[in-house]
Amino acid sequence: MEIDPPASNGNPSAPAGSAAVAAVASAAAAAAPAASKMTQLTESLKLEHQFLRVPFEHYKKSIRANHRVVEKEVSSVISGVGEVADSADVSRDEAVDRLSSLVSRLQGLKRKLEEESRTEHLQAQRCRARLDHLESADSENLSDWNNTRLKRILVDYMLRMSYYDTAVKLAETSNIQDLVDLDVFQEAKRVIDALQNKEVGPALAWCAENKARLKKSKSVFEFQLRLQEFIELVRAENYTRAIAYARKYLAPWGATHMKEVQRVMATLAFKSSTECATYKVLFEPKQWELLVDLFKQEFCRLYGMTVEPLLNIYLQAGLSALKTPYCYEDDCSKEDPLSQESFRKLAMPLPYSKQHHSKLVCYITKELMDTENPPLVLPNGYVYSTKALEEMAKQNDGKITCPRSGLVCNYTDLVKAYIS
Amino acid sequence: MEVSTIRDGFDRVVKKQKLSNSKSQEVIDHVGCEIRDALAKFHSVEDQAFNQKSILSDLKNKLNACGPHSMLEGVQKELNANIGKYMKLLEKYFNPDISKAYRNVDFDFHTVNKILVGHFYRQGLFEIGDCLVNEARNPEATELRSHFWEMHHIVEALRAKDIDPALKWVLAKREKLAVCGSNLELKLHRLQFMEILQRGTRVDALNYARTCLAPLASQKLDEFQKLMACLLWQDRLDSSPYAELTDPTHWAKFTKELTQQFCSLLGQPYESPLTVAVAAGSEGLPTLLKLANVMAAKKTEWQAMKHLPVPVELGKEFQFHSIFVCPVSRDQASEENPPMLLPCGHVLCKQSIMKLSKSSTRTFKCPYCPAEAAVTQCRQLYF
Repeated sequence: MEIDPPASNGNPSAPAGSAAVAAVASAAAAAAPAASKMTQLTESLKLEHQFLRVPFEHYKKSIRANHRVVEKEVSSVISGVGEVADSADVSRDEAVDRLSSLVSRLQGLKRKLEEESRTEHLQAQRCRARLDHLESADSENLSDWNNTRLKRILVDYMLRMSYYDTAVKLAETSNIQDLVDLDVFQEAKRVIDALQNKEVGPALAWCAENKARLKKSKSVFEFQLRLQEFIELVRAENYTRAIAYARKYLAPWGATHMKEVQRVMATLAFKSSTECATYKVLFEPKQWELLVDLFKQEFCRLYGMTVEPLLNIYLQAGLSALKTPYCYEDDCSKEDPLSQESFRKLAMPLPYSKQHHSKLVCYITKELMDTENPPLVLPNGYVYSTKALEEMAKQNDGKITCPRSGLVCNYTDLVKAYIS
Repeated sequence: MEVSTIRDGFDRVVKKQKLSNSKSQEVIDHVGCEIRDALAKFHSVEDQAFNQKSILSDLKNKLNACGPHSMLEGVQKELNANIGKYMKLLEKYFNPDISKAYRNVDFDFHTVNKILVGHFYRQGLFEIGDCLVNEARNPEATELRSHFWEMHHIVEALRAKDIDPALKWVLAKREKLAVCGSNLELKLHRLQFMEILQRGTRVDALNYARTCLAPLASQKLDEFQKLMACLLWQDRLDSSPYAELTDPTHWAKFTKELTQQFCSLLGQPYESPLTVAVAAGSEGLPTLLKLANVMAAKKTEWQAMKHLPVPVELGKEFQFHSIFVCPVSRDQASEENPPMLLPCGHVLCKQSIMKLSKSSTRTFKCPYCPAEAAVTQCRQLYF
């Protein structure tokens, strides 16, 4: 905020033209925030990577899966033909039968493909709906758009925290189903529910489905699942099966994760009731919770989502930007989120914001004191905005009463302060 | 934002996907056709195991020769290329990882859930708030819920121009409202009076004024006189000097003022603090992300710093405190280092003034104008 001394700011007492100057100045002031709002909007839209990426990953996944099905089925039909052709003693009827069954298999494939292409179409529509939504943001509907964004962020949070019912309800009442990833998280829900029931089946199936990409990101999720299954066998004192299991599923990881393999193998000697700390933790139920957390991370990474909920990221950024030492004082304005206990608690570990320029807020009107509404100083040093004091003087025959110190003085006693 | 470029990229993916799908259909049809042709030959040629053999090997060769794989491979390659391009496009136009600005601290989810429940109640989304309490096993916020329930009840009623719930609340809080100098009661009766005047009879309006307005008349006599004068203009208020009083936006303005008072008596802000904090986040994140990128090499510093090294500019709606930064030293004013007003009207921090005056041993020139000043002429300011 820049308030120049009067010398450089034209002559305030000059009657002619001063109104025109003021009009131009206020028009410029109005245009400047509008322009900065637009750049701000553009900047904040750049944060929406996940918003476009997640439905696209979903779409991509269906495309890839369909390709695989077509390729697999067609080649197995062709090799089926080859088998019929190559076998020496096939009766005519048998050959006809086998060929006909191949034909109906192809028909089945075709039907399936049609069905899948409808799904793909819906997914593509969703990607488009998101593009439309991003494009729809402009300065006119900004507050609506921001409200929708908040709702999207909240739904994202609730989905990640597994509060599915609330997420669905909020999405439905706000009519933003296309703008949130309810269906993507349905897939996660299946796996998480199973893990919470101590079943690894769906999780392993999910790993198999996404094998290539998990391998590429060097994920250890599958390994952790295998370790847990092994531990469960040991817990059940099913040692022979445990050893067989380890041979089959743990040994392949030996090259890269020998330490961990050795550690769990040692549990064979210790039993689940061990008090030895190194092994005791392996039998604790919280291992399953860790698996759920690990799964959530892998899942988010696979879909190109941030690992932390968007809400946490936005809240942290917002609270850091808002946090000043004044927020923790008793007379902190109620409108500041940091006047609320719960927000203060969240902001505790965050850094304070930094200011390069003075920003003065009028104690009475809570408005910014700037060139338009400059600060005036009472004889005792208390400062309020011109607007507030003018209004007070008008109502009380030119008398000013300081709301904080009780001092009474004349409007004419006030002096301007120049803040740069 | 170049949404159109991104959209073009996406359209290319969809186009290739459709092409690839129809190609798949084509291949399936083709293979099916060949097999059916072969089956037809079986039926047309009556005898001979020899013929059967040749038909089958013919079919096999044909299918192998047409190479369905190579037919599919081409379009799939193109599709994959377009998918890759689109992902690159997204990465280029958007910030691919906004969690870079995230500080890995314990962000207590119970607290977050509590905030969310409060937010939903405040917005009047009671069902969703309850659902979250249930699902997140959060402690119930019964008190807050009933307060906001009352508030929404009042607002709903006002929307239907029913002043009763509002009046009940205003009367119950009369003393507290008087302390903050609010005249909601008078405003409420004024709204109702104007409503009766426009829709009911003059007698009704007069009676209403006698019973409800008269006891409050001393608060704002001129206001009261104006309302009484309106009685003369009934039926043609629009062309009266008081037309402004019939403006329907008065209801909306009153509703806003009442909600503000309601929240302030609750010790709650008028705007949802969650909305404010997230909006501040979306304004602040771009700057923080740039900062995080610059500081990426020193990850630990990002996690540990006590003050952000650069200012994060937020709009003036997020300005809740007066912050004075000394234009000379760039330090933020504090109790030990308060802002001081020079006789010329410029403001500096005490420490800067001490420095300029060589610890108040002599007068100094203001750094912003030619005026001379002595320390004794400077006085402390309270913003």
